[in-house]
Amino acid sequence: MDEELLISKKDVLEKMGISYGQLYRWKRKGLIPEAWFVRRSTFTGQETFFPQDKILERIARIKEMKDEHPLDDLAQMITTRVNAHLRVAMTKLQRAGWLDDALLRACCTDKAAAEGVSVWQAFVLGVLSRLRRAARDEEIDLVRRTLEREQGKGLLDRVSENGVRIYLLRKCVSGGGISAQISAAALAEEGAVFDPEIEVVETVDLSPILHRIQLELDPDERTARDSGRTTGGNDDGRKGPEDEEVAR
Amino acid sequence: MSEERKSVSISGSGKLGGGEYARVSISGSGRIDGDLVAEELRISGSGKVSGRTEAGQIAVSGSAGFGDAVVAEEMRVSGSTRVAGSVEAKELTCSGSFRAEGDVSAEYLKSSGGMRVTGDVESDIFKASGGFEIDGLLSADKVEIHLGGRCSVREIGGEKIHVLRPSSLGGAFLLGLAKILGGGGPAELRATQIEGDEIHLENTIADIVRGKKVGIGPGCKIGTVEYADSLDVDDDASVGKELKV
Repeated sequence: MDEELLISKKDVLEKMGISYGQLYRWKRKGLIPEAWFVRRSTFTGQETFFPQDKILERIARIKEMKDEHPLDDLAQMITTRVNAHLRVAMTKLQRAGWLDDALLRACCTDKAAAEGVSVWQAFVLGVLSRLRRAARDEEIDLVRRTLEREQGKGLLDRVSENGVRIYLLRKCVSGGGISAQISAAALAEEGAVFDPEIEVVETVDLSPILHRIQLELDPDERTARDSGRTTGGNDDGRKGPEDEEVAR
Repeated sequence: MSEERKSVSISGSGKLGGGEYARVSISGSGRIDGDLVAEELRISGSGKVSGRTEAGQIAVSGSAGFGDAVVAEEMRVSGSTRVAGSVEAKELTCSGSFRAEGDVSAEYLKSSGGMRVTGDVESDIFKASGGFEIDGLLSADKVEIHLGGRCSVREIGGEKIHVLRPSSLGGAFLLGLAKILGGGGPAELRATQIEGDEIHLENTIADIVRGKKVGIGPGCKIGTVEYADSLDVDDDASVGKELKV
């Protein structure tokens, strides 16, 4: 795994023109994940560093949105939990190249076509569209069901914090003149290892897809944000891979 | 949730199963086994909840023990309280001794007496006038510490950070009170790092202080001060290195 480029706290403040007070407040409100605060010893003592690209992009986004929205709402918008209530317009999906009639029919109801889809549905569409070329229909469905199993369990939060990937796998089993192929889908953090006989058909890194939705697709479509919000907006800290296998 | 919630009161000595209640009041000695959800929890005397507590209002005078996390709108504690988990309250007021094994988060937190937190403390406003020991980060928009005993924290981060020694408050009384309550020790603050926009410190021993406007008052021993706008150092303070950044 390659090291992410880090930036010191001092440089973040200077570069983005924000104060200590703002940085600490945003951290408290869950706008900046705890995991991004990387403490390192330097010759001047303990220093805090951040993953450069993530923090700069996040702070730019907070600054841009903070005037229109109260901080507490912002936390929920940015940390995905509320994003579940946002709608993503179809036209935007089309532009992202994620729109596919067959996929759409598999994931969404007809009504969605008119009203736009939820962030979750857009996310699933984004993932499945990456598989379209290599995977068979049944396999696409398998991946969809694997994702959906984790829907209510904070998968989106996990994706935005850790490098979660979905793996589509095939394995050939033969004996007695008969051979069969088994497909499997696995949701795991980066660097999952499979046995040598397994063919990895496709690997999809989930976080770029989610980021794309959060950063490009939603900003002016924040229409149907309803109640049902949870307070706090923090990540729930759950981790761990989840597998599902089927044999055919 | 349409079910009517019951109110229970234990006076004398009693035990209660966990569950949802409107009002739970313990005077004397009481124990609640399991998780508790209540609109109001009042303990005077001695009370214990073995599981997680979620309540609108918690008022403790005397001694209380919580076996797991506490979530409350308002928590007022005087006497001795121990939480074996994190505490989340909009308003948290503690006088006497308060101990949390986990993070404490609030919007308004006021502590007079002794406070001991093994995790981080987060609040919009943090006011302390006794002694405290915080293992993690203390973060607040406004940190106001009237030293009344030994205070230690790994790091402080916020907007306005003011640490005042007892004389500036005529707080000999508070100091005495803190000593009785177990704060003890000299009235000073120790921290490895203090970062804020507007900082004024007295009787503070810290490795690094970083801020925009920094005032290092009497009784301070600071390793390095990094400041952006201004720095004032009292004659009765020592600063190893001053850096304008």
